[in-house]
Amino acid sequence: MQMYLISTCGELTQEVSRDLQRHVRKFGGFILMVTRTGPIVALDDAVAPIVEQHPLIGFMGAVTLNPRGAAADRLQRIFAENLSQQLIIAPADTAD
Amino acid sequence: MGLGATVGADLLAVPFPKMVLSLAQAIAKGQTALDTASLNTLKVLSSTTFDYIPDITEVIEPGPTTSAGGVTVTGVDVSLVKPIRSIPMTLLQAGITPTFYQFTESIIEVKMSISSKVESQSEFEFGFEVSASADFFFASGSMSSHVNFKTSNTFSYSAEGSSLLRTTLKPTPPPQRIMPRFITVNTLNTPPTVTFSA
Repeated sequence: MQMYLISTCGELTQEVSRDLQRHVRKFGGFILMVTRTGPIVALDDAVAPIVEQHPLIGFMGAVTLNPRGAAADRLQRIFAENLSQQLIIAPADTAD
Repeated sequence: MGLGATVGADLLAVPFPKMVLSLAQAIAKGQTALDTASLNTLKVLSSTTFDYIPDITEVIEPGPTTSAGGVTVTGVDVSLVKPIRSIPMTLLQAGITPTFYQFTESIIEVKMSISSKVESQSEFEFGFEVSASADFFFASGSMSSHVNFKTSNTFSYSAEGSSLLRTTLKPTPPPQRIMPRFITVNTLNTPPTVTFSA
């Protein structure tokens, strides 16, 4: 998995943002944060080029979290909180 | 030309220098494209701003007391210290940096399978027949012979080749000359201190 910053072709509206988030989720990705430019997502490297083909996506670039950043710890917490809401953990008795 | 020479010529015919050159050119093009994408990401990160709220201060104070069933219950007031300070910050300042990639290893593997077969077959047959007969008045005799020689040569040669190009791509720390340097001037200290990011 790799972190990607997505920026939209035009203005980022609620509808566009939701559309992109659904698109990313469809390919097994996770939404880590939504910025004014677009969402920051975690995606499998193999599906990234396919996700990038969405007509609303203007640019998609791989990013890394720099632990020395001014708000790195906060960002990490935000990412973890958002990720935890998207993960589906199977109950122990149903697990293989 | 001998068989060994043919095999040698076939091995020499593998365009190895051309393959290496093509791979090197493809890597160079790929690296340029990757660096351009990373630089574009850097531009987007440095232009995307958000309001960073470092602290929200809450003050808990005793509130008005109430009594329930003759028991006095102390109330609590929670007030927010205003104004709440927000700092406009870019995603780059916050700690999100573009990922840079580098080709670390490239392999060209050429496999060749050459097989040749020479078959030579000769057949030699010799026959000799004598017959004689004698009667009351005359006698006769006959003699015949034949020679058969058959020779055949078969020659088969096949050469098969396959090539494999494999490159490894790994994330690498951003080049120092590309990434902006953060200079922090802390005026809370006397005299103000200046720190430079690595």
